[in-house]
Amino acid sequence: MALLLAMETSTRAAAVEPYQIAVIPKGTTHEFWKSIHAGTIKAQRELEAEGIPVRILWKGPLREDDRDQQIQVVENFTARRVSGIMLAPLDSQALVKPVGNAVAARIPVVVFDSGLKSDKHVSYVATDNFKGGQLAGEHMGKILGGKGKVILLRYAVGSASTEEREAGFLDGLKKFPGITLLSADQYAGPTRETAYANSQNLLNRFGREVDGIFAVNENSTIGMTKALRDIGRAGGKVKMIGFDAGSASIKDMKSGDVQGLVVQNPVRMGYLGVKTLVQHLQGKPVEKKIDTGVVLVTPSNMEQQEFHEILYPPISQYLDK
Amino acid sequence: MTTEQEQRRKVIRSRLLTLAGPFIGLLFVTSLFALSSELRPVFYTGANWKNIFTQTVIVSIGALGMTMIIISGGIDLSVGSVVALTSVVGARLLEHKVSAPVTILATLLTGGLVGLLNGSMIAGFRMMPFVVTLGMMGVTRGAAKWLADNQTVNFDGESMVTRVMEKVSPDTFFPLPSGVWIALLLTLLMSVFMRCTVFGRYVFAIGSNEATARLCGIAVRPYKVLIYSIAGLFFGLAGLMQLSRLSQGDPSVAIGLELDIIAAVVIGGASLNGGSGSVIGAVVGALVMAVLRSGSSQMNWPNYVQEIIIGIVIILAVGLDRFRQSQAAR
Amino acid sequence: MVNAPRLQVEGMAKRFGATVALKSVSLEVAPGEIHAIIGENGAGKSTLMKILSGACRPDSGSLHLDGVRFDPEDPHAARQAGVAMIYQELILAPHLSVEENILLGEEPARLGWINSRSRREQARAALAQLHYEHLPLGAPVGSLPIAEQQVVEIARALIREPRLLILDEPTSSLTQVDTQRLFAAIRRLRDRGVSVLYISHFLEECQLLCDRFTVLRDGESVGSGAMASTPLAEIIHRMVGRNMEEIYPRSARSPGEVLLELKGLSGRIRPSEASLLLRRGEILGVAGLVGAGRTEMLRATFGLDPVAGGEILVRSSLRTHASPRQRLRDKIGLLSEDRKEEGLLLNRSLADNVTMTRFEPVSRWGFINPRVQKQVTRDWMTRLKVRARSPFQPAAQLSGGNQQKIALGRLLHHEADILLLDEPTRGIDVGSKAEIYRLIHELAGQGKGILFVSSYLPELLGVCDTLAVMCRGVLGPKRPVAEWTEHSIIEAAVGAGTEKA
Repeated sequence: MALLLAMETSTRAAAVEPYQIAVIPKGTTHEFWKSIHAGTIKAQRELEAEGIPVRILWKGPLREDDRDQQIQVVENFTARRVSGIMLAPLDSQALVKPVGNAVAARIPVVVFDSGLKSDKHVSYVATDNFKGGQLAGEHMGKILGGKGKVILLRYAVGSASTEEREAGFLDGLKKFPGITLLSADQYAGPTRETAYANSQNLLNRFGREVDGIFAVNENSTIGMTKALRDIGRAGGKVKMIGFDAGSASIKDMKSGDVQGLVVQNPVRMGYLGVKTLVQHLQGKPVEKKIDTGVVLVTPSNMEQQEFHEILYPPISQYLDK
Repeated sequence: MTTEQEQRRKVIRSRLLTLAGPFIGLLFVTSLFALSSELRPVFYTGANWKNIFTQTVIVSIGALGMTMIIISGGIDLSVGSVVALTSVVGARLLEHKVSAPVTILATLLTGGLVGLLNGSMIAGFRMMPFVVTLGMMGVTRGAAKWLADNQTVNFDGESMVTRVMEKVSPDTFFPLPSGVWIALLLTLLMSVFMRCTVFGRYVFAIGSNEATARLCGIAVRPYKVLIYSIAGLFFGLAGLMQLSRLSQGDPSVAIGLELDIIAAVVIGGASLNGGSGSVIGAVVGALVMAVLRSGSSQMNWPNYVQEIIIGIVIILAVGLDRFRQSQAAR
Repeated sequence: MVNAPRLQVEGMAKRFGATVALKSVSLEVAPGEIHAIIGENGAGKSTLMKILSGACRPDSGSLHLDGVRFDPEDPHAARQAGVAMIYQELILAPHLSVEENILLGEEPARLGWINSRSRREQARAALAQLHYEHLPLGAPVGSLPIAEQQVVEIARALIREPRLLILDEPTSSLTQVDTQRLFAAIRRLRDRGVSVLYISHFLEECQLLCDRFTVLRDGESVGSGAMASTPLAEIIHRMVGRNMEEIYPRSARSPGEVLLELKGLSGRIRPSEASLLLRRGEILGVAGLVGAGRTEMLRATFGLDPVAGGEILVRSSLRTHASPRQRLRDKIGLLSEDRKEEGLLLNRSLADNVTMTRFEPVSRWGFINPRVQKQVTRDWMTRLKVRARSPFQPAAQLSGGNQQKIALGRLLHHEADILLLDEPTRGIDVGSKAEIYRLIHELAGQGKGILFVSSYLPELLGVCDTLAVMCRGVLGPKRPVAEWTEHSIIEAAVGAGTEKA
């Protein structure tokens, strides 16, 4: 009897052995990544309700722009033999080999947010960043009335997602020949602090003549807006368009310092990433490329229901504290 | 108990603490992760240790040079930047289809050259190593970004260089990447070199007391230049390993690496006052940190936990060293 | 009982583990007496002090203070009982003012001081007892000369109105004048009835200052007496168990060819003019005041400092400018006056210290053979009677005398012919001194030339064959030692009567 019981529990245990899914973002401090995290938890809860247990192992690199650190995290999870890895690569090139090693060790990888120059991964779940950039470019052209001087504040070299946004923005501006670029070769860098400092430097030179600025991620948007406020050019004197919606950016939009935010749907990205990976683990076919959508939020539409939910992702519903 | 026995016991105990201190630390952090039943089956696998060893290569090779510098009473803060610069130099050369041996040589020499500059300024103008290398840290980082056009340098195709850190057969401990073997071999060579040669004694002597070293006819200044230059070669090699690991030249890589390396050397039993230190200890110190990183990452502890733990380990290591010295002095 | 001794020590014994630090020490100190404790390093002086100051407790024996049994549990209890200890290394806070230092850690109410009296008055009263009331109370202690810092340290002890003051080597870093002033202050304390235990290496000092003495040897008190009526030679005899003649060995030597010649040598500041001839088998003493330029002359000769003018001839060939490395190649060796800062590698082994300048005999192709190195070092340790555990022990663990022997051992291992010895016996005990004199004598006998710089006139007169005096950077003519007296040396050193024979 006891033996039987033991056998039964052991088979049950085998049946409910959860999928261990390592999720490796580029960093952990952006609200963007917290939304991704929330999305993965959302998927986990759904799957568990369907009787498919999943464990999410959330681990970013120690230093946010350190490729070597991210490689180490991928390696460590590979050694730990997780069921699958979700990775937002810090570099489209440097992470190719570790992903190859993981796949060679029969651990499937879903790449999200940012591209990887490889064909080994199962699927690429991301915002159409080029489209997001285009939206920003077109909006900029519109609010400037088709003419003016603009600055593109880039993020960092080698980050595919932001490079696509930058390219999309320049593409969107092409429709407005009256608009000239003052600067498009400065980088905000990895942290809010570097973004702020670099924005200050940039504005020191161009602050008097610039009419519109596009910053390509959360930290650079916040940093640039702050720098604009410092020199008294915020509040619409310089049209500010940013990317991603952290609470600081939303506040800045409410107060009129930001005229537009291109917003991704990170919750959906995390959610779809986990779903796709689990599908693959269960042997079902998956799409090679999955678009998670991107919208332009402006001060006028931000209170509408559909945008409100994207602006205020229900993180607390999924993450503790 | 006679005096002699007691004294001998004291000597043995202090020797043991010196030699075994870092190893005990390594054993401790390694067994720490045995407490987790979840981690036990995956942490002590060949594949994982292969990972850990591979992850230690860059810090270890840097620590070989740094140990020598610290023993001689100096410090080098420019390591991280030198690694970035040399990785960019190597990537640029490979980009222009320069052959691997030439690339390797040029990369090492770039590191050596920075070391030569550091050493010449420190010895020639009697400047503080801390300040000189702090300045050099900025100069080389800037040079790396300049040379790389402020972006990562990618090159096509595989090369001997990129294969150094490549792991084939990820499931087993062997074969280890050749970079691991190179680091091991160099560690043994450096250890013998520092312990058993006249040159090594001179390095210890200079760090122990520069005035005495001069009195003993040691040409202190040329030796300092030499020490920084040789260390520079090691840093160049570390840059090569970094290049191989990222398969690209990255001017923003290895920020803060110098602190990891200095921590490894200190955990390994060196004193920042100079005159003492151990090559093998430093490499074991690097391993201690890598094991902690790997383990806490696999335990799924948040990053801050691991940062706190490594900080505590460094302080404990220095505390242990003080304890050992007070034992020896008694 | 009319006159109970202030301090009475009877049959004091103390062991540390298996080491016997004190076998049996007895002594008596009367009220208002300055009592010298004399003994070599390791004789038990510091253990005795520790017991008196409450830092450790005896195994047996008894202590009485003014006839009352005294058994301090800790330094605080000893202080409460009126025993104040002043250590060799000053324990002052350099950034605090004189007043703050004097009153540091004092709680006036508990010690019965009247609270209304201002701190300033307390501090000034303490200084007045020492006749140092002119010290600026507000000045940071770090800005005062060492001697005045010493006074502050004593004043701090006086705040507690001690009955017994223990001074451990208080003059080791003081000049002659400062020493005299310190003595005056100590005498004033004695006149007020305070008893003083005075520990010093300098026997002459003890003679000047102290009323009575007790000699310690190997943890035993081997004699007490009145200082004035006991000849120095007898005290030394008791300390080392040897006679004076054995300390300064003498035998006839005939000097050989010239090894080293300085012609009008000058350095950047000092010396301004130094000429001398050093011959094989000659011990040439150089006397002079501190700062006269003797050390600088040796350093310039050895290549540690630049030569500004003049010529240096080594074995009759002109070698004016050279690095220490080249000087060592010329078989010249320098023993630094500053053993800890320049003489030794304190955290390196004895073996490394001995063989550092000449690794050739113990290495092959640049690799050191530890077995040979150990053997070579052991041989030197035996010859120089170095007391140490092992050749691989760090030099820092040795006593001053043994460290100095190791530093000398390096010159001998180097087979230097020309030895430049700068204060070779500074701060070491009489026993080691005697051994170093014997060694110097022996080396001269082997045909080495020795330049012996010292500020201690008796040893210069006792050891050297010839002697020259340096005064304000100028080295005077050398004369046979028999033609010198302490008086004439001092005259030459201060520049009085330069041309007197």
